[in-house]
Amino acid sequence: MLNHIKNIRCDLNRNIVKFGFVSFLMLFSGMGNAADDDSKAGNSIRGAKEWADNCSRCHNMRDPKEFRDDKWRLIVSHMRVRAGLHGQQTRDILSFLQSSNYIAVVNNSEPVKVANTPDVDGESIYNQTCVACHGANGAGAIPGVPKLSERLSKSDATLLGNIKNGLQSEGSPMAMPAKGGNPRLSDADIKEVLIYLRQTFK
Amino acid sequence: MKPFSSTRALIICICFILLGYSNFSLADEDTDALNTRIEALEKQLDEVKNLLKQQVEQSATKAEVQAVQQEVAVAKSEQAEWKTFDSGVHLAGYGALNYSAEDNSFNQALFAPIFHYQYKDLFLLESEFEIQVQDDGSTEFALEYLTADWFMNDYMALVAGKFLSPIGQFRQNLHPTWINKMVTAPVGFGHDQAAPVAELGVQLRGGIPVGKTMNANYALYVSNGPILELNEDGDEIEAVEYNASTDDGDDNKTFGGRVGLTPLPNTEIGFSGAFGDIAIPGEDDRDYDVIGVDFFTRWKNFDLRGEYVRQQVDALVTSAAPDSQEWEAFYTQLSYKFLSTKFEAVARYGDYNSNHADQEQEQWALGLNYLFAPNAIAKMSYEFNDGLAGARTDQDQLLIQLTYGF
Repeated sequence: MLNHIKNIRCDLNRNIVKFGFVSFLMLFSGMGNAADDDSKAGNSIRGAKEWADNCSRCHNMRDPKEFRDDKWRLIVSHMRVRAGLHGQQTRDILSFLQSSNYIAVVNNSEPVKVANTPDVDGESIYNQTCVACHGANGAGAIPGVPKLSERLSKSDATLLGNIKNGLQSEGSPMAMPAKGGNPRLSDADIKEVLIYLRQTFK
Repeated sequence: MKPFSSTRALIICICFILLGYSNFSLADEDTDALNTRIEALEKQLDEVKNLLKQQVEQSATKAEVQAVQQEVAVAKSEQAEWKTFDSGVHLAGYGALNYSAEDNSFNQALFAPIFHYQYKDLFLLESEFEIQVQDDGSTEFALEYLTADWFMNDYMALVAGKFLSPIGQFRQNLHPTWINKMVTAPVGFGHDQAAPVAELGVQLRGGIPVGKTMNANYALYVSNGPILELNEDGDEIEAVEYNASTDDGDDNKTFGGRVGLTPLPNTEIGFSGAFGDIAIPGEDDRDYDVIGVDFFTRWKNFDLRGEYVRQQVDALVTSAAPDSQEWEAFYTQLSYKFLSTKFEAVARYGDYNSNHADQEQEQWALGLNYLFAPNAIAKMSYEFNDGLAGARTDQDQLLIQLTYGF
């Protein structure tokens, strides 16, 4: 009798799970293909944060400039499946990684004409672009990211160059991408960020 | 009328002569000045000509400008080509060389290439091979996984083929040698132990944003399920084999999956489970189920993760191996990265319980890793093992590994 009840209970549980499985499939398969929607294009600033938040859950952070743009695209697609990322996270991370390559190329070739005035203040830029890795307190949100207070003894020229061109810190398992991975930052923006860093994390 | 005297006439003539001479002298001075100015202008003209000549020499011709414009256009299209393409392939993977001080032997040489092919943002083919040198010198070649992934929408991908089991995290995401912070897998998480390894079937995977800051990820699958391995006498179930066999011996599918939540950045908790029927060939089916819990969190330079899994096969009185069997394993691992150095310290505790005494193992492991790069690591670990007396599972061992991921 007990075995019979147990069998009924097992069958019931299985049917519930099967029902849930099929319902889940129907619910999410009707959401359309986001790849066709231009409004969902990748955002490199969001991507920097997603990259910092998600990738190191499993493995050490790789240098954003380590792979060519087309390689990153395949790798990020692989990671979308592996890490359970949704489409927008994937596009944002890809945008960040490809932007890092683009900035590296530009900085290594010709000087770029930049705006004379900053678009926004240093704090806003820090919170949008830098906080994902350096943390709100500047102590580093990712292992290996050095405390900003330990780096601010360097000259302005050195720090501006490091921010603009990216930097592989001694002992850090990952390199900071040029302009923190945000290609839209102008020279004036970078100066504003440095002023904010000196005021806040000295 | 007075007569015009000759003296007066002479004076007048002299005056005219003098006047005329003075006029001629003035004209000569103007000419000299003019000549000087002309010479200066000619000099300036020569300079301008030289400058123009230099500029012509230094500046690009229209044809050259067009050539540069063409180069820029090509460069732009090439850059776009790297970013967007219809079909692309990529080779990744990892490799490792192990040394065991206990055996005084290089006891593992592993190469695991991973192949990716992508068509637009719709399809991805993934495949990992595992090529490993065996004790007798032969080489084992195995298909770790092979899946065709269809990105159905932003939140769901259909994954079909042989895939790594989504039960827990270690088997599906942490087993590559450059990712695993220890030289070995945690006890109970190896092949044919407590944690399922691979399945053959179809799977739905994806991620869903939950609120503004939280995300969820999921994996749900249906598969042929595992097969049972009996002991030499054939009267006891020895292990559950996850060979991802193409033959579903019990004709009933196994259902399973995992749901993970990331309530905070760099924090995840996951719940997983599977159930189905399993049978010894020629016998009735019996119930089979798995449950698992895993977590990961980071605080400063500390990484803390852990995982629990329990796998159970029910009893069947009519079977040649009638007893139920249960395999249970858990581990927790703490690692710390030393800033300003390339060293990382790791400690792991694991416990593997089974109805078979020779399988049971408790392990403390301490490790020190040197990161040449994030993906090139030298590891050294010492494992304190407690198992069946005299068995391999009871021997402590010092292990060294050199591994890379690419």
